[in-house]
Amino acid sequence: MTKRKRNILLVEASRCIGCFGCEAACKMEHDLPGEPRPIRVIQVGPLGEGEELLMSFQPTTCCHCDRPACVTACPTGAMQKREDGIVFSDLELCIGCQTCAVACPFGVPHLNPATGKIAKCDGCRERVDQGLWPACVLKCPTETLIFGGPARVLQEIGTQEALKVAKTFTREE
Amino acid sequence: MLDHHPIKRFPGSRQEQDYQVRTVCQECAVGCGLVAHVKDGRIVDIQGEEEHPISRGRLCARGTAFVQGLTLPERLTQPASRQDRRQALQPLDGWKSGLDLLAERLRHLKERHGPNALLIGCDLEGGLDFYLGAMRFAQLWGTSQVFYPLGEPLEPWPSGLNSPAASCSDWIHSRCLFLVEADLAASHPVACSWVQEAQRRGARVVAADARFTGALAKADETLRIKPEQGNLLGLALMKLILAEGGQDAAAVGAGFTETSQWQASFEQLSLEGVEAALGVPLERLQHLARLLAQRGPVTVITGRELADLPHHHIWLTLATAMGWVGRPGGGWYPVDAGAPPLKIHTYTGEANTRPEGGHREIPPKLAEVKSRADQPVRAIICSGNCLYDYLSPFGRLTEQVDLIAHFGSFPNATWEQASMTFPAALWAERDGLSFSNDRSIQWGTKIVEPPDGCRSGLDFWMVLARRFGWEAHFPWAGEDSRADQAAFYSWLMAQSPLTAKLQVDQLRSLEPGSQIFWPVGKTVLPNARSPYKGKIVPHPAPAALAPGAETAETADYPLAFEAVQISCRSGDASRFWPWTRGLSREDAVQINPETADLLGIENGDDVLVETPRGRLAGRACLSRAVSRWLVASPHGVSGLKALVHKTDQSLDEARHLLKKLSL
Repeated sequence: MTKRKRNILLVEASRCIGCFGCEAACKMEHDLPGEPRPIRVIQVGPLGEGEELLMSFQPTTCCHCDRPACVTACPTGAMQKREDGIVFSDLELCIGCQTCAVACPFGVPHLNPATGKIAKCDGCRERVDQGLWPACVLKCPTETLIFGGPARVLQEIGTQEALKVAKTFTREE
Repeated sequence: MLDHHPIKRFPGSRQEQDYQVRTVCQECAVGCGLVAHVKDGRIVDIQGEEEHPISRGRLCARGTAFVQGLTLPERLTQPASRQDRRQALQPLDGWKSGLDLLAERLRHLKERHGPNALLIGCDLEGGLDFYLGAMRFAQLWGTSQVFYPLGEPLEPWPSGLNSPAASCSDWIHSRCLFLVEADLAASHPVACSWVQEAQRRGARVVAADARFTGALAKADETLRIKPEQGNLLGLALMKLILAEGGQDAAAVGAGFTETSQWQASFEQLSLEGVEAALGVPLERLQHLARLLAQRGPVTVITGRELADLPHHHIWLTLATAMGWVGRPGGGWYPVDAGAPPLKIHTYTGEANTRPEGGHREIPPKLAEVKSRADQPVRAIICSGNCLYDYLSPFGRLTEQVDLIAHFGSFPNATWEQASMTFPAALWAERDGLSFSNDRSIQWGTKIVEPPDGCRSGLDFWMVLARRFGWEAHFPWAGEDSRADQAAFYSWLMAQSPLTAKLQVDQLRSLEPGSQIFWPVGKTVLPNARSPYKGKIVPHPAPAALAPGAETAETADYPLAFEAVQISCRSGDASRFWPWTRGLSREDAVQINPETADLLGIENGDDVLVETPRGRLAGRACLSRAVSRWLVASPHGVSGLKALVHKTDQSLDEARHLLKKLSL
């Protein structure tokens, strides 16, 4: 079996417009009910005074930690970390005890009331294994979610920053 | 500009499937391309159409969540009726007996109260075919009261310019995008991605709205105006630009039928009172006017509500006078106005076959119908949840109405009032034509069959018309006597010179990635507004900008109310999707923290919003998105004066407390 390559999911939150496209895409892909929401858009603000307001949207999902507390805590071995970094819960082994939910410092794992088992972001591992992008990334209208190999994503960040600088020059023309 | 190669996308579905259907999302008018994956007659996955020029594979929450609406257990699938609206609806034995009963009741009401006692309300989910079928039925019946949430389509514009603005993908050529009361982030997320794309390429984004919306949050410059004053802002900007000679003299000469009187009207216009009417200092307006004059080409994107308010055409005038129209990245882009004028108000039928009393009137305004005391409305046929959204003035009059027939898919508030109900097919279950905001004409192929008992809007009217012997006026029956949607839309396109050269088959066989826009082919446009080819009649300035001074109403209702669009809601069905239902509360009443503090209101309190036209109950949601003088909620009608108070607080107490508020 060929070794799975690591990927990065970059959240460029400054672009998010709060459309919830990622949330709906995730629920359809994983056949989830209204709650839980493995990817969740949090609205921050508007904050400030008078006309000087700021508002942002922050899509949040599992960090797929290097040393995941949920994996260590899981009593049945359902919660696992793959060689490509994806942290997922094997639903055949999960007993819904929610120890992982207590252990996770970010409050990521939640119980799926429809199955009585944990539902958390599994990095769309089945899609990724087939060479497809995760469902949330593909549907995001604003390219807030950026997915790919680490080198390619880093290059993308660099280009985007360069474009921002280029933009300030166009403004001053 | 830097050469940027985005990361290659890897689209597709992992679900097992029998076949795919390529179609167009009809949750809003952006017109995104969809690929539906179907297994055993059910949708198992929805992906965006990667080759689609508008959406490029992207979809918003609505474009995914609609799938849930098709299979929800709450879905209505059987016609039902009741004599007394206090009792439960009883299922009927199919459509035949349902429509027999409806026809009998309608006949009875017509004999007693005349044809104008019938009012028809059409929502967007009922489909264009329900609306057009309603128009024809109403003309045969003799009532002019047919309502649709979209205003009249724009008049055809001068030849030589295909439209006042190009597609949203053209915004990347713009140096400035000016959004007026258009919260694309909530209402049209995929189109909003083009705003961001343009912004990344150096376009300055300026957004004006009453609330601090998602669009304002992403804009480079923001302007908070009073609700529904967008067109007034347009007039003020035109005045300021003309005063400094910022217009494009050549474009004015080439674009307008007449210029001296038009310019004189703006010279005479006084800006006195405009600061109070808009809630914006004059210096800010001046700054904005100069910015727009310097940063052409500008695309002005205006919200749907502005179309129903006076002076809407100031935007075409402004865009033409500045020379933006016709330039890449410039022009006027009114949202939700992408359908061509469809010649539906002038149906006369075949010679000598038109029944007595048929009407050719333009529908009256809603307010006029309400005030016709001599001709009260006794019967309502409506689709979706009309009585509780844009027809809400009638929602409270239902006691006086003898018959309410509901055509819809879900047990909503209108259904609760209905004396009869007919289950509707949703857009994914019927073929149909879709006009995008960009004026792109797309064929929406049905993805799955509707549940037994659910029918299209055209079917409803066609079969009802048969009960009155009007088959000849609905000649679109297929072999199974159901409505043939393709035949209907072929007929429809043939009616207008703007679309006559197009066949439904051409649309069906269109390759992914290509689009057809109206006007189709080289068409000589009938220029209804002007006898001069290639020119428009410029919108003149009114005698005074600001409306009258303080009224008694202002004293009683010191705040303003605005209806809010929620980003994960598009219509009635969206209220029932579990995937998006929990994302946003529909009863949230947004109140500024300072106003709430004065009134002693805390987050989550039960509150009442009082307006001169009725009361709205909800839960307080403290937010700086609304200014001190504004309250906002997804329900209700924009533009009203309002007062908000806690349920255990009297109106006078709230009024007294609000006197301390510096508006």
